[in-house]
Amino acid sequence: MSGNSRGFMQSEFMGKLMVAMAARSSRNRSLLDRLCRRALNRLTALPPEEDFMRDPLIDNDEGFDPEELDRYQRGE
Amino acid sequence: MREGVTTKRALCASCDIACSVVTEIKNGRVVRVRSSDNPIFRDHICMKGIVAPKGFANPNRILHPLKRVGERGSGKWEQVTWDEAMADIGSRLQAVVDRYGPEAWAVSTSQWNTSTDHGLGRRVMNHVGSPNWISGVALCAGNTAAVNRFTYGWFPFGDFNNTRCIVLMGHNPRRHSWTPIYNYIRSAQQRGAKLIVMDPRRSSSAERADIWLPLKVGSDTAMMFGWLKVIIDEGLYDKEFVAEWTVGFDELRQRVDEYPLERVAELTGCDPEMIASAARLYATHGPTIIPWTPITDMQRNSTSGIRLQSILRAICGYLDVPGGELLQGFNPDIINESEIEMHHVLPEAQKAKQLGSQDHPAFTYRGQSAFREPTRRVYGQEYANLVMGCHMATPSATFQAMAGEGPYPVKAFFFLGNNPLLSYANMPMILKGMMNQELIVAHEQFMTPSAQLADYVLPADSWLERPWLHDMFGWMSTVRFSEKSMDPPGDCRSTFQFWKLLAGALGQSDIVPWDTLEDFYDYRVARTGMSFADLVATTEVHFAKPEFRKYEKTGFATPSGKVELKSSVLEGLGFDPLPYFREDPPRDDAYPLMMFTGVREDGFFQTGHRHIPEMRARHPEPEIYLNEKTARTAGVRDGEWVAVENQLGRIKAKLAIRDAMPDDLVRVPHGWWKPEMPQGHGQLSGAHDYADSQLCRDDDDFLDREQGIPHIKGIPCRVVSLMSPSGDAEIVDASLLEPVE
Repeated sequence: MSGNSRGFMQSEFMGKLMVAMAARSSRNRSLLDRLCRRALNRLTALPPEEDFMRDPLIDNDEGFDPEELDRYQRGE
Repeated sequence: MREGVTTKRALCASCDIACSVVTEIKNGRVVRVRSSDNPIFRDHICMKGIVAPKGFANPNRILHPLKRVGERGSGKWEQVTWDEAMADIGSRLQAVVDRYGPEAWAVSTSQWNTSTDHGLGRRVMNHVGSPNWISGVALCAGNTAAVNRFTYGWFPFGDFNNTRCIVLMGHNPRRHSWTPIYNYIRSAQQRGAKLIVMDPRRSSSAERADIWLPLKVGSDTAMMFGWLKVIIDEGLYDKEFVAEWTVGFDELRQRVDEYPLERVAELTGCDPEMIASAARLYATHGPTIIPWTPITDMQRNSTSGIRLQSILRAICGYLDVPGGELLQGFNPDIINESEIEMHHVLPEAQKAKQLGSQDHPAFTYRGQSAFREPTRRVYGQEYANLVMGCHMATPSATFQAMAGEGPYPVKAFFFLGNNPLLSYANMPMILKGMMNQELIVAHEQFMTPSAQLADYVLPADSWLERPWLHDMFGWMSTVRFSEKSMDPPGDCRSTFQFWKLLAGALGQSDIVPWDTLEDFYDYRVARTGMSFADLVATTEVHFAKPEFRKYEKTGFATPSGKVELKSSVLEGLGFDPLPYFREDPPRDDAYPLMMFTGVREDGFFQTGHRHIPEMRARHPEPEIYLNEKTARTAGVRDGEWVAVENQLGRIKAKLAIRDAMPDDLVRVPHGWWKPEMPQGHGQLSGAHDYADSQLCRDDDDFLDREQGIPHIKGIPCRVVSLMSPSGDAEIVDASLLEPVE
């Protein structure tokens, strides 16, 4: 791999751009931040039928009822 | 948003991955954990994360300090206050230090709490004068980090987002285990990246791979020699990089020539053409990454295996390029844990006493000292304790010293968020060592088998109950922040409070001068110009400015400044400076099978989570895996209780037939005990029945020479039935075709 080739320079630029967008997305405050988050959302979202991260255990989780946790903690 | 619910941004510490999640709080307690709203962390949550609110609400959680009042391991305790406990612990630890020397104090910590330990444990130990800190990272990532430094001075992290090919060496990330890594790999594959898997098992990753190399267990190092033979002979390496940035290529080539493909095929059990195809794909379809794998960490050839991974990365030109292996360095805006640890205050004479450093120095102070100057030159500071693994004592040597079989006695043993009896090799030796202590202190959430032998068990908080600054173990330059979601129950306290109180009890309060964890974090993030509170409120990830090929400006952090294919540091320590392969020792016919252990099950992390009903329902009993042919030969049947035995010990488990397992290989689950079983010495909540550490040998044939870590990927054993002759369980076919995890 030539470190000075055009393709290599492009890949470095793209790598830096992705980090900059991720930083903006993580901040999510200004208009530019939110635009970056929206762009990353579109770049990374998958149609449900191809989404290997879908999992019923996770997708259907609604958490716990606080009273249920209280009772459990008391050993009831 | 549900009524009455507030949210916090948190980092899950249910395992060591630290997924970015959101906690939902109602009536002052966390009622739900879900994945982050940030698309870069989408779906980074697993079953262990969502069940955390219930796991920490378990009625058997330790809520108050407990002091032993009967014989060690008798199970008799009295409740005391933190002040009472720490005053007594401080005076008894000081007595041990005064009588035997500071090196007589050893500490063991684990990922759950080391990543929230902030380096304070090492800081206190360094001021007291003890070098004897051990951790499970000795055979899981920490040692990899230390050994990577021998070749190019840092531990790289693969650029999954831009890579074109991924190599998994026995590693099998899944939806509920190493979840983000699974996501990265699947995403890369969807983009068109290739996947090469080396694994004796037909794992779920192997099923998705472009090339699956079903190698013999423990032969990874031989396989990489085969790859290098192909890559060098066919000129597929980056000649420009090798010429300009490496030393020792000719010597490496001579060593590689000792491994023609026919020999490699014999050692690995794989077809030579398939080996060659994988090597060509690795070298020509790059940039390629070899993500960290725990498998290479746990073999008698671990040092050589990790070195060969490093060498492959280097000579193919994949170091610090987009899509390759990034050498990120520290984040310059954050005071990193290596700085907090203050290794410079530990006198050289005390460093020299670090247990195991004479025979197996690779990740000890002695083994890493040659990197101090190069690391200062490249990364701006002398000590880089990457993944906490670069200045450790050797665990086996530490337990021998605890048992009175070392160069000097260890008489005080502390462990935090760690279950040492089940977490290292040779449980009988660990048990002997613990029973020989004058002071044992545990900082824990639950009464683990190890905690049952302590003098004090101090109640630990959880990741829901404290803030957290996560600097990615010094491995990567990204820093993330976690909000406290709820108050800890009872008297549960953080590791920060533990170390602060201990420093005070030793009369050295100035070692930990910050009043609160938040004050401490403000100190660590001051260079950002923001407070911790501001950062945690506004920033999920604090990135360092990305740069590539930084070595062109600084050189590599090795003594030569180049990639050392032939390691000057290993040579200086008296070891072979080139990688090599040690074959298995002669077999004992009484143990015709091979076992591997160290495997995580989806519902558990290491030795934890067995107390959570939802998780135990998924894994009610420890299971070993055999294929049907091997089971028939051994005379055992699916679903029956069997014993796995070797020269060191014996465990019980249920047998599950998995045709994805190769012949004569036994998969043994890691870290099993049952919280519901009787506690105390002689019982240990089932650890004597199920703990795989009873089978993990640490005699010379089963230790890596340079590191002294155990070989747990290929231990001779046998499997025998525990059922009566009339107990005729049927072989069930239901899961025969499933891949193995």
